Amino acid sequence: MVTFLDVMERALTGKPCSERDYDLKIFATKLMEKVKEYDIKYDPENPVPSDNSLADDVFKAAIDFYCEVGTYCKDTERIIKFDENEIKERLKTAPSKLTFGEGADAGTMVPRKPEDKTLPWCFCGAGGVAVSSEHVFSKLVENYARIPIANSITTPALTKVSGIRIRPESPLEILGAIHTVVLGREALRRAGRPGLPIMNSISTADSAIALIAGLHPEFGLRPTDSYMIATLAELKTSFDLLNRACTLLSLNLPIASLYGPIYGGYCGGPEGTAVATVAYHFMGALVYQAGWHLAFPIHIKYIASSMPELLWVASVYAQAISRNTHLLALYYNYTAAGPCTEMCLYEIAAQHISAITSGVSMETGGIAGGKREDYLTPIEPKFTAEVAHAAAGMKREDANELVKKLVPKYVEKIADPPLGMKHQECCDFDTGKPSQKCWDIYNKVKRELTDLGLEFK
Amino acid sequence: MSGEKTLSKEELFKKLSEAVVACDSEAVVEAAKQVIEKGIDPVEAIEKGLSKGAIEVGEKFDKMEIFLTGLMMAADAMKAGMDVLLPHISKEKVTKKGTVVSGTVKGDIHDIGKNILVALLRANGFDVYDLGVDVPTSKFIEEAERVNADIITLSALMSSTIGGQKDVIDYLKETGKREKFIVMVGGGPTTREWVEEIGADGWAETATEAVKLASELIEKKK
Repeated sequence: MVTFLDVMERALTGKPCSERDYDLKIFATKLMEKVKEYDIKYDPENPVPSDNSLADDVFKAAIDFYCEVGTYCKDTERIIKFDENEIKERLKTAPSKLTFGEGADAGTMVPRKPEDKTLPWCFCGAGGVAVSSEHVFSKLVENYARIPIANSITTPALTKVSGIRIRPESPLEILGAIHTVVLGREALRRAGRPGLPIMNSISTADSAIALIAGLHPEFGLRPTDSYMIATLAELKTSFDLLNRACTLLSLNLPIASLYGPIYGGYCGGPEGTAVATVAYHFMGALVYQAGWHLAFPIHIKYIASSMPELLWVASVYAQAISRNTHLLALYYNYTAAGPCTEMCLYEIAAQHISAITSGVSMETGGIAGGKREDYLTPIEPKFTAEVAHAAAGMKREDANELVKKLVPKYVEKIADPPLGMKHQECCDFDTGKPSQKCWDIYNKVKRELTDLGLEFK
Repeated sequence: MSGEKTLSKEELFKKLSEAVVACDSEAVVEAAKQVIEKGIDPVEAIEKGLSKGAIEVGEKFDKMEIFLTGLMMAADAMKAGMDVLLPHISKEKVTKKGTVVSGTVKGDIHDIGKNILVALLRANGFDVYDLGVDVPTSKFIEEAERVNADIITLSALMSSTIGGQKDVIDYLKETGKREKFIVMVGGGPTTREWVEEIGADGWAETATEAVKLASELIEKKK
């Protein structure tokens, strides 16, 4: 069994290597080799393939790949490696269910399989996207909690504390992390769902010191919430990230590991991105001892994941993980379009139908590329969760046909998408509730999806 | 070696261009050496050979016909060719597109976006000094002064780190050096509105657009 101390020892004694050599000569080169060796081929005609052997080959390629490339530690400039037995043992011992939340809002996250009728875990909210004020933060979280089928909440990130822009690793970031926790818990209480788990703790904490500060029980986080640790593209970590893992593991708090492999970057095309996404799950399970996993493969140029290549990646990685492991895996999407646009909802539908029917659960976020402050409303997560529930149990071949009908509705606009509206422009200031215009768009797209065959529950 | 066949000037330029696109540094160096041996104008070889290849590489990356690894290797091939040709060009005739100091701002350790920009700038004939990631504010300015840079590019991937871009601009203003350098910013959370707020000179959504903008801003400043 690989322990966290084993990981640290390997970070200090693994093969020394420059970062550039790791990127180009190890990661990119070995990935291309594995794609070729396992004959993995992208099929532009079928964004949601039904070919089980493709998913299994991607899984095997990812094991081989990760055994050879390991994880790069930026601080020690060494490679942390694991052998096949260690990977397989960790996959066997990884949690197959986790319970989050308290009281009436407690729930258990379970693994899913392709075409599984088991409802996906609905992790609803902002996905850590930034907001400019504590008021917008509170109103958003309050309204996320009013989504009846939300199992857990993902809060926004604050960019300012009392009007002062947060700086990394500064007292402002610590204050931002603390405010995030306090405001988040209070907003859930106001919504009447105080037991809902906050599962992206702590969104405003980009450094270990801010996370650790925000963990103090005085501020309101609980062991039944969940805590996130990012990875660095591609397959890299750092002491700062490992410091978070060390603290969370020592406190026995549930860890989620985040993976954002970049299509068009060192991963290359869709085939390499799919294999790398699967390999990231091994990294999270071993390096951070993560209990659950969140992947968001993304396009290098458009900061979105709704193009057919990325839909295929989402489907194939999800099938590879769900068919071959019991890991608790979630998919997170990036839309090109912004809130209160039809395009944004079409993108969400295509993305989550692809992923949910392929065997994972969901988190919302990444609206308008996840890069614009305040471009968030409660509509998008509500819509996503409803699509996710509707897609549960759907055959992959039916999902494939549906997704193929959705893609033409937005694909030509990805390079120049509609930005939609800021929270302040389309939600009531006092209640945070979306305007009628937003609901009209939501209702229109839901009707269209129903006509296309998606059965909302 | 190539000696089996004597290549004409045009054939050598074509070879330089194709070797850059093929990321073949050895072939680039070999062709560049032949350019010198044959007494061909190295400036013309850069313009009609290396740069032509670099433009094609940029276009291919833009269309996602090649990916980041190919882009970086092509930039290496371009640099290998420049290393052979530049010493044979008199200082007066050296027509670099411009000198750029690039880095990711303090507190941010993300480097992929910055690496793409650096590779594309180099492939397009800019002289780039890459400071890496988590770069202290004053380091950008010290380096820009040391190398007499035209442009400082500031990358940031996190909404919590883009303040570092403003810090560099504030520092330049406070020390009376703002007009000396063109400042371009980029990265996930940056937007046109942010550029206006902090008073940067340029912003582009993609690295390809950034390279084009860099050329335009340098021309404008002349």
